[in-house]
Amino acid sequence: MEDYKFLFKIVLVGNAGVGKTCLVRRFTQGLFPPGQGATIGVDFMIKTVEVEGEKIKLQIWDTAGQERFRSITQSYYRSAHALILVYDISCQPTFDCLPDWLREIQEYANSKVLKILVGNKTDRDDREIPTQIGEEFAKQHDMYFLETSAKEAENVERLFYEIAAELIGQARSKDGSGSAAAAAAQRQSEGSSIGLGSLSAKAAQSNCCGGLASGGGSNSSQAD
Amino acid sequence: MALIRCCFEPPELPEFFDSFVQKCTDPSCGIRLACHGPFNQMTSPPVSQSMGIASNDDTDKSMDDWPGRSGGAMFTYRCIHVCLPNPSNRCAFPYALLGCCGCCSALRPRYKRLVDNIFPVNPEDGLVKSNMEKLTFYSLSSPDKLDRIGEYLYQKATKDINRKRYKLAEIAMEAMDLLLQACHAQTTLNLFVESFLRMVQKLLEDSNPNLKIMATNSFVKFANINEDTPSYHRRYDFFISKFSSMCHSDAASMRDSLRLAGIKGLQGVIRKTVSDDLVENIWAAEHMEKIVPSLLFNMQFCVNVMFVKKNLLASGDLTPVEDATNVTPPVLAEEVLRELVGRASFGHIRSVLKPLLTHLDRHELWVPNTFAIHTFRIVMISIQPQYSYTVVETLMQHLDNNFKSSPKTRTSLAVVLSKIIAIAAGESVGPSALDIINNLLTHLRTSVSATSEITPEESQYQEALINALGEFANHHPDYQKIEIMLFIMNTVPDLSKKSKGDQMLQNILLKSLLKVGTQYSTVSFEKAFPASFLQPLLKMARAPHDPTRMVVMQILQALLDRHQNEQVLSSVSVKSYPALSQEPPSRSDIIFTHKYGADIMHALIDSMALSDRVDALSSSFNTAALLIVEMSCNETVQEFLLFILGIQQVANTADTLGIVHKCSLHAISIGLLVLISRVSGINNLLEYAQKIVDARREEATHYLPPLLEPKKMSGKNLNLSLPHLAIDKLALGECLQNAGMDAQRLNTGAPYALNQTDHPGHRHSWVESVSNQLTQRNSSADLTVYNGDGDSVSSSPGVCKKLLAPEFNFDAMKRALAEPTEAIKREQRERQMQIVRTFREGEFDDLIRRTEPKHDLIQNRLNELFNSLAVERQITQSDTKAASLQASNEKPIYETNFPELFYY
Repeated sequence: MEDYKFLFKIVLVGNAGVGKTCLVRRFTQGLFPPGQGATIGVDFMIKTVEVEGEKIKLQIWDTAGQERFRSITQSYYRSAHALILVYDISCQPTFDCLPDWLREIQEYANSKVLKILVGNKTDRDDREIPTQIGEEFAKQHDMYFLETSAKEAENVERLFYEIAAELIGQARSKDGSGSAAAAAAQRQSEGSSIGLGSLSAKAAQSNCCGGLASGGGSNSSQAD
Repeated sequence: MALIRCCFEPPELPEFFDSFVQKCTDPSCGIRLACHGPFNQMTSPPVSQSMGIASNDDTDKSMDDWPGRSGGAMFTYRCIHVCLPNPSNRCAFPYALLGCCGCCSALRPRYKRLVDNIFPVNPEDGLVKSNMEKLTFYSLSSPDKLDRIGEYLYQKATKDINRKRYKLAEIAMEAMDLLLQACHAQTTLNLFVESFLRMVQKLLEDSNPNLKIMATNSFVKFANINEDTPSYHRRYDFFISKFSSMCHSDAASMRDSLRLAGIKGLQGVIRKTVSDDLVENIWAAEHMEKIVPSLLFNMQFCVNVMFVKKNLLASGDLTPVEDATNVTPPVLAEEVLRELVGRASFGHIRSVLKPLLTHLDRHELWVPNTFAIHTFRIVMISIQPQYSYTVVETLMQHLDNNFKSSPKTRTSLAVVLSKIIAIAAGESVGPSALDIINNLLTHLRTSVSATSEITPEESQYQEALINALGEFANHHPDYQKIEIMLFIMNTVPDLSKKSKGDQMLQNILLKSLLKVGTQYSTVSFEKAFPASFLQPLLKMARAPHDPTRMVVMQILQALLDRHQNEQVLSSVSVKSYPALSQEPPSRSDIIFTHKYGADIMHALIDSMALSDRVDALSSSFNTAALLIVEMSCNETVQEFLLFILGIQQVANTADTLGIVHKCSLHAISIGLLVLISRVSGINNLLEYAQKIVDARREEATHYLPPLLEPKKMSGKNLNLSLPHLAIDKLALGECLQNAGMDAQRLNTGAPYALNQTDHPGHRHSWVESVSNQLTQRNSSADLTVYNGDGDSVSSSPGVCKKLLAPEFNFDAMKRALAEPTEAIKREQRERQMQIVRTFREGEFDDLIRRTEPKHDLIQNRLNELFNSLAVERQITQSDTKAASLQASNEKPIYETNFPELFYY
């Protein structure tokens, strides 16, 4: 069987050059690529984390910030469970664009999507956006807020773990209870993209004895 | 096998046990509790308890039955025991006891052993072929195991990937491929496919590019398999998302192969889903918005590459052979796009086009528009033809949405439109065609009205739109071109509106009309100039705005010119026109001339009087000359002569015209006279014309072509009182009579004059009933004016007598007498129709004019009759009949000369 209970899709958006790819790579690969070029289209990473004793698989879609790829990146918002909206604390314009991004999210993403505002590059000295301002903006627009540094690996783990925890909470409250069956159903409905779900699981269970029987049968004939 | 190996490799032992224990706790594991024995208390309660739960009922029984129970073998025994719940298999046990761990491998279910066997000891060796064959054979012979084989392979691969043993994962994938290929006919394939796809997904999720490519290839193989049983629950959105992101891959070393893999994967998804309505809807916006931009993104480079390559080829730097074999991402992407568009049904076209347009917008690919044209050509060519006009519509909508963007973008859009519209034109008929035309005209209108002054870019945009219109019309059959022209004509604002914007709009619309007109090849004037088209056009010919008038003239020229004489006649001259090509006008042309010739000539005279600009006059002359060349024959030559006299008369009498203008009109009239005498071949006329030309050449060269520039001539004093150099009406009549032609119309009719409005055609319902009998009856009243023929057919205006079919032997005559042949009947019918048409559509005045001199006798009789009636009326005043007669008497109608037909 799969080695995870939940699968969540997380999409990173934000202006070009705010450090989306670095955040993802820091989290999934634990490294900070210094000369990271601009992302083209959409990049994809995967990481399994363990929260509250549950294995969670995070599909992270890292989108290109450039305007010209907007048409394809928008199409990825739709199926996201969480959207991480990134800006650069040392670059005022990236913060100013946030309302535009929110409008875009409003238009293309699921209305119940979890939104997290992230101010990246806290390691830089030339801060232009005080934490306070980012916090207020996040509060205004009903988002979670976090300041990170991909370079110093500050708050990066926390960001993703908190998202995972929050999403689990959401999923559980939606299901009513945290039972395994509900989790499986949850995974089938939202997570697993080929939708194997309970069908194959059930098949595997019901077949296990029959499989042993025939396996033993062939075993004996071989022994003869 | 793998287990044995594990056992004999001490360093890996803990790992082996780990996995074993893990398996025991895993609910799907076939072998439970296998390794608990040596390390735990044999009979620890929880273990046995769990054993009891897990195994079948007879397990406990067989445990008691077992004779050789020994402590050392206890673990193995239990293991076997659980694995073989079926008592009939128990004879195998003693042999299995031989090795502690080796037995485990032997005692695993057979499918697992077979699967394990296909993996080589050394991962570099690749798949063990012979064992793979065994596995294939096994899965073919017991297909019910297929799903568990798949599941097991998937688990193995997952573990291998997690431990970064990519080679082994690749082998697992390869094995799954082979199994899929071998077993695709099996009904249980469905469950196997689930494992297969999970495997593919697992490989795709990894960052190793080789795994991704391999997974894609497997997926493509799967996509090419036709599954019997549908699987409604299967979803492809991960694959679409992932393949799309691979299309954008930018890894340094594997870029192209990853992109190729992504495109191939998308192609696979399309193939898999497009034909089946029950599976995931590939046409949903969320999928198309990923697929289409990914394909376009790859194609984008193709165009650039193509151009570079073309240049290189042209300069000889590149041999064309090298790129024939290897498929590049752009080429493949193009192919996939074609496939996608080709499979799209009507409802789905838009879902492809929308992301396409968005992509072009986003990447700013409209200016320059090579890529846009390229892409749209592909779309148009590969789309199912009946839907092609949807593309045009969508593109126009896009133009609508873009009305605020820069004129350059719009021009590019319009150019793209004009490039593809031709492909759509063949398929769109009727309303849809007019719809497209209407749309284009609306764009033109908005473009004209939106801008106060014309910038070069804006006029380029208009030009592009007009080109699109022309292209579109060009690919329609002729009858539809007429419809289109009519349609455009109706949208032109009439002359009453004098504002600058309206004038510009008139000009633009007429230009577009001209564009369509030049595409039309006239066969019969009657068809080319339906009354509803001709009348407004002639009205526009009187427009005060010079350029407008000239465009109208150009339209007329385009439609009149059947023999490409336009260039020959483009300037006024008295030369002999050796290059002129002509053929005698057909019967219907002559009818047309009788019906509308006068209208056209009136309009021409008016237009000539409006301006003294040389180019305007030349274009009017050109039109008149073409009219003469196309329509002159013995029957119409008098009308044209009257027309020429009319021009001269205008020059002589109109006070408002300038001197230079008058000279020009004289020059035009002599030019036309020379032309008509050449064309009609009447030598007397030609001699007369030549005489005038010679005389003018000596005395007044300003009366001869070329036309004078009004500005240059303003100071000069030109002698205009030269009546002896004018064209004389009586002399013309003599010339005609000397040539044996009738000159009565010329002698009696008045020359054309200025500002004669067109008369609406009279329609008389009785004409038909009357004319039906005409063919059979000789007209007693007819005085054999035109041809000296008693048959009323020939006396009917504008209709020549039809000669008998040239078949004059005895049999033929007899047959003809006995019964009219089909051909003759048809001819008769045609003739009747022509008469009917002439009388129904011809103008009353026209008819009168045509027949007026012929019936003095009857007129007199009528007068007598009326006189006598009047006398009678005086006697019987109370008679009501008389009263009504009086009423008719008071009208002066009967004093006019009725056409002969009206007598019956």
